[in-house]
Amino acid sequence: MERSFAKEVESLKLGEGEVFHGEGILAMTKALLQSGVSYVGGYQGAPVSHMMDVLNDGREILDELGVHVETCANEAAAAAMLGASINYPMRGAVVWKSVVGTNVASDALSNLASAGVTGGALIIVGEDYGEGASIIQERTHAFALKSSIWLFDPRPHLPKFVSLIEEAFELSEETNTPVMMEFRIRACHVHGSFVCKDNKKPAISRNTPLTEPRQNFDRICLPPSTYLQEQQKVHVRLPAALDFIRRRELNEVFEGEQKDVGIILQGGMYNSTIRALNQLGLADSFGKTTVPLLVLNVVHPLVPEEITGFCQDKRSVLVIEEGNPDYIEQSVNVLLRKAGIDTPVHGKDFLPMAGEYTGEVLLAGLSGYVSSAMPDHPAVAMAQAEAARVTENKRRAAELLGQTLPKRPPGFCVGCPERPVFSALQLAQKEVGEVHISADIGCHTFSTLPPFNLGNTVMGYGLGLASSMGVTPNIDKRVITFMGDGGFWHNGLTSGVIGAQFNRNDSVLVVMNNGFSAATGQQYLPSTPDKKNGQFADLSIQDALRGVGVKWLKRVRTYDVREVTKIFKEALTTSVKGLKVILAEGECMLSRHRRERVVRQQKLKAGRRVITAKFGVDADVCTGDHACIRMSGCPSLTIKPSGDILKPDPVATVDNSCLACGLCGENAQAAALCPSFYQAEVVRNANLFDRMLAGVRKGVIAGLQALSGQSGGGPSEVGPSQVAPSASEAKAA
Amino acid sequence: MSAEIATESATESATESATESATEDTTGPSPESGAPPLPDTTEPITILIGALGGEGGGVLTDWLVAAAMAADFPVQSTSIPGVAQRTGATTYYLEIFPVKRSRLNGREPVMGLYPSPGRVDLAIASELLEAGRIIENGFVSPDRTTLIASTHRIYAIAEKSAMGDGRFDTGHLPGVAREMARQAFLFDLPRIARENRSVLNALLLGVVVGSGRLPLAPELFQQAIREKGIAVESNLRGLEVGMALALEGDRAQPAGVGGEEYSPDADAPEENAQGAGPLPASLAKRIEEEFPAAVRTMLRAGVLRLVDFQGQRYAERYLERMIPVLEVEASHANGPGGYDLTREAARQLAAWMSFEDAIRVAELKTRPARFRRIAAEAGAEAGEPLRITEFLDPGLDEISAILPPFLARPLLRLAGRYPALARFRRPMKVRTDTIAGFLQLWLMARLRWFRPYTFRYGEEQQLIERWLSGVKKVAAMDLALGLEAALCAKLLKGYGDTYRRGRKNFEKIFSGLVENMPAVEKGNGAQAQAAAVKLREAREAALADEEGATLDRVMQAQAQEEAGEHP
Repeated sequence: MERSFAKEVESLKLGEGEVFHGEGILAMTKALLQSGVSYVGGYQGAPVSHMMDVLNDGREILDELGVHVETCANEAAAAAMLGASINYPMRGAVVWKSVVGTNVASDALSNLASAGVTGGALIIVGEDYGEGASIIQERTHAFALKSSIWLFDPRPHLPKFVSLIEEAFELSEETNTPVMMEFRIRACHVHGSFVCKDNKKPAISRNTPLTEPRQNFDRICLPPSTYLQEQQKVHVRLPAALDFIRRRELNEVFEGEQKDVGIILQGGMYNSTIRALNQLGLADSFGKTTVPLLVLNVVHPLVPEEITGFCQDKRSVLVIEEGNPDYIEQSVNVLLRKAGIDTPVHGKDFLPMAGEYTGEVLLAGLSGYVSSAMPDHPAVAMAQAEAARVTENKRRAAELLGQTLPKRPPGFCVGCPERPVFSALQLAQKEVGEVHISADIGCHTFSTLPPFNLGNTVMGYGLGLASSMGVTPNIDKRVITFMGDGGFWHNGLTSGVIGAQFNRNDSVLVVMNNGFSAATGQQYLPSTPDKKNGQFADLSIQDALRGVGVKWLKRVRTYDVREVTKIFKEALTTSVKGLKVILAEGECMLSRHRRERVVRQQKLKAGRRVITAKFGVDADVCTGDHACIRMSGCPSLTIKPSGDILKPDPVATVDNSCLACGLCGENAQAAALCPSFYQAEVVRNANLFDRMLAGVRKGVIAGLQALSGQSGGGPSEVGPSQVAPSASEAKAA
Repeated sequence: MSAEIATESATESATESATESATEDTTGPSPESGAPPLPDTTEPITILIGALGGEGGGVLTDWLVAAAMAADFPVQSTSIPGVAQRTGATTYYLEIFPVKRSRLNGREPVMGLYPSPGRVDLAIASELLEAGRIIENGFVSPDRTTLIASTHRIYAIAEKSAMGDGRFDTGHLPGVAREMARQAFLFDLPRIARENRSVLNALLLGVVVGSGRLPLAPELFQQAIREKGIAVESNLRGLEVGMALALEGDRAQPAGVGGEEYSPDADAPEENAQGAGPLPASLAKRIEEEFPAAVRTMLRAGVLRLVDFQGQRYAERYLERMIPVLEVEASHANGPGGYDLTREAARQLAAWMSFEDAIRVAELKTRPARFRRIAAEAGAEAGEPLRITEFLDPGLDEISAILPPFLARPLLRLAGRYPALARFRRPMKVRTDTIAGFLQLWLMARLRWFRPYTFRYGEEQQLIERWLSGVKKVAAMDLALGLEAALCAKLLKGYGDTYRRGRKNFEKIFSGLVENMPAVEKGNGAQAQAAAVKLREAREAALADEEGATLDRVMQAQAQEEAGEHP
């Protein structure tokens, strides 16, 4: 893993009355242990990767409690794992990135929700929505609605996160229904504190195992049970849930003096709403509000009495619900209509239907609502002035800036082993022509962004090869698919490779084998080499491919650009039919560098011989065309002023973050770019032989330089005085 | 592509937890009886940090959180971690409620997760463009926001990958920052960090503390750094230096200060000058006597370069080639303004005449100053062995370039018939720190005397003459048009494919739009202007993409337009 979570693990051990300080996602993890879970599973993905990371690093304390942690093969596997709570009174929790993870998990979720659970089952999803999200923008809400899973959207406040997780398990058990809890990106990364309770040892666990299996046909998802289960959802579980939510006051009402209006909001929107109200003079910093609020920590199911009770006798209410469709707003309308209450419901008329509800968006929306709903209130003038001031400020900034600033799209890290593969593909395409490229999810998806702009579709994690199946037979050149080792094991082996083999598909698959689930934080994969301990098995991608009958299989070191280019050309043009797989191998540089840096520093300290390396560009040889950057995009390969009046275009330069991966040199040669690049290595703590050899070489070279008259006048010796204007000229100019 | 990559910090400590900075004594509410009631108008202090991955924005946030906690202030931070190590923008947002918990009587302020435009007290940007972005997004307001930013540039990919100069002009950003912020603190922090052996984020912290906008004593930050326990000394030094910078204030910086503010003509050529000897007196005198002051700087640089490239005679030829250009410019009735054409032609001609053949590259790569520069860059101490590997890839073009024409021509003809020969390349890695490796390049460099007899030399001189006569021809009609024609020489740069592509584009544009241009009546300004616009469009199109698709499209459109005008 990319980072050690040893310190976070310590905070998982805190006991009754002690104060936890830390990130939201870690608070949730602690809450699971306080709730007495027997097992936890999941699949890594932002913004919730750290939950799995911390649990994996915290094996010791989990062993003590008897909690089992499963690093699931994918989200479907994680959801299916909750099946343990169907028959047995064991609490379990799983975690993943949503909406994509929920998509993958949905088959198992449907079956889980239909069967119903005995032990509490909790699904924690990181709602990857808005700024910083890396996926399609959809709501997880829909899955809760269609499968009758109760959905929590907690108010962003660590103590609330923790208490709601504890209550979610109770709700799940009382209603025999799995509960889902969504946390947005900023909530996962929020830093706060709460007062802990002791961790709870689960009654059933590895330490105190069950002795007998239990079978109950009512819990099997097969007719006729399924019909019964559907009836139960509606007639038994839902009323029980409504009762629990109301009884335990999971939703919160914050009264305000302006009783004729009100706001119904998702719990996750609470802090931003208070901030916007505060900005309009309608709330103070402690959340004391003028406009009454109904904060829905549970967004499904809605409790009809709570909604009608809040809305009746009001002239209007506003629903603050991020994303689309506006499920809550629609439900509120229906509930009021059925209850014969005609309070007007606003929401997406003042707030945008699509996109994140940032502070700015909420301010504008609330300003609009307040102006219309309480026109006589003194806040209205303030609201309008504030909104106008913000708009004016932004307008003025835009005016002064003059033009839109260049974007900073993400790209491959310094020294990334995946970058050279795309440099090579650029070169191969120059010879064989452009091909259709089926991209996948992983670091390699950055190939679709500048400077490579390679990739025609992205269809989902591990689905790259499957998504090429319709293109392959209908295009004249072979299709190339990229898939990471993560995507390969997640489902690419079955949905892609086996599908292609079965259908005798004639295309090219590149498996990027960097050894880790790199984009999510270097978690172990089945094929990660040299795993630290024996808790995971070592599986081989190559064996898996051979096992399903792949004949054309080439392994290549990614940094060897010429070799990769050659293999691309061969794969695209060979007469061999069928699936051709290129296993592109190079360890994730973040991981490798972190490991090697420590070793190197230790050696340096110990006075042992170490060679440090970095690339450079001869500014006077570089002509400023930047072809090298267009086929790399490495953050350490950048530009600087040429310092040359005769060639004013900026020249390429390699900054100090260079890790000497070697790609610059490879590209310079493979693409016949230019002779500007060099690699400089320094022998630290050099031994006597090193020094003597270097001394002799230096002496001879200096002699040759003197012989050719080069010794005196190097560039650095030329002063500016020779070309700079004289005083009289300066005056004339 | 879920992205949780904790970026690697400049202090090498981003891998540390964002959560371990807590101190033990800052437990939750502990109401003190008798504390005065709190005015409900107190607002949190809001801090927005815009950084790039790898710059330690997370660590900076941790320090701020730790100091606030140590002061017993409620604090909350959150982040959008960005997607990759160095490339993406990452943002952090903090709120500090400036009232001790002990005085809050158990009340809990509601802290925001999003910065609100108009409500940001401190906006911190680790780089100039990111400072601009924070302003663009409306988070800097004149009545409230203190903006603290580093003025250096980390170029975005679109700026770096352009075929010429694609840099976004940030010259006005410091001014915008001062105008939009209540107070702006702008410094070239990486430079100051290097000078003080510290790091960017520690300096930023220092400026934050020194700005006086936080009700937190400097000791709390020192304590936070110590507790974090990583690179303590250099971070403490950065804190001190940053505080001192803030106290000196932004006024200490001249207006428009930038890390690497850039204007091509202002660049002193010494940094990269390839002149190895002094300017010959006779040539210096000629420049003085025959050329106006406005172009002398450029000519001196040109002469210096060409003396170094081939010798004094060659440099003389350069001046001789420039005289007719100057005459054309001087002859214009409306008078030469700043001698823009002569200056630009002098620049392009000198660069062109010092074309990069293998002899030149070998010469540049074997200079003593280069070895010194590389040693300094790599941080090699005196006596530490330095190894230098060159990545050379001579192909048929590079080899025939330095052969005499009677050998080069048949060779190239043969290559036209046998593609395999045309594709011939010999990739080599040469260790120029070794005697054998150095000798290879050194011997190549010694071929300088032979250069005038090489194939490429002849070709280049011929093309230069064509360019000069084209420039003179159109400059006689109109100076602006002449300037555009002169600038076409910019297309000729690079090596290998890049060079060939540039040459092809040059031929296409120059023969189409300059040499075969219908005569413009002298004095018909509109006609000349239209021709100049066309030329500029075509030149820019040639630099828009590598395949030349944009150029073809633009030139086709121009031709069609012309056909439409004169059916």
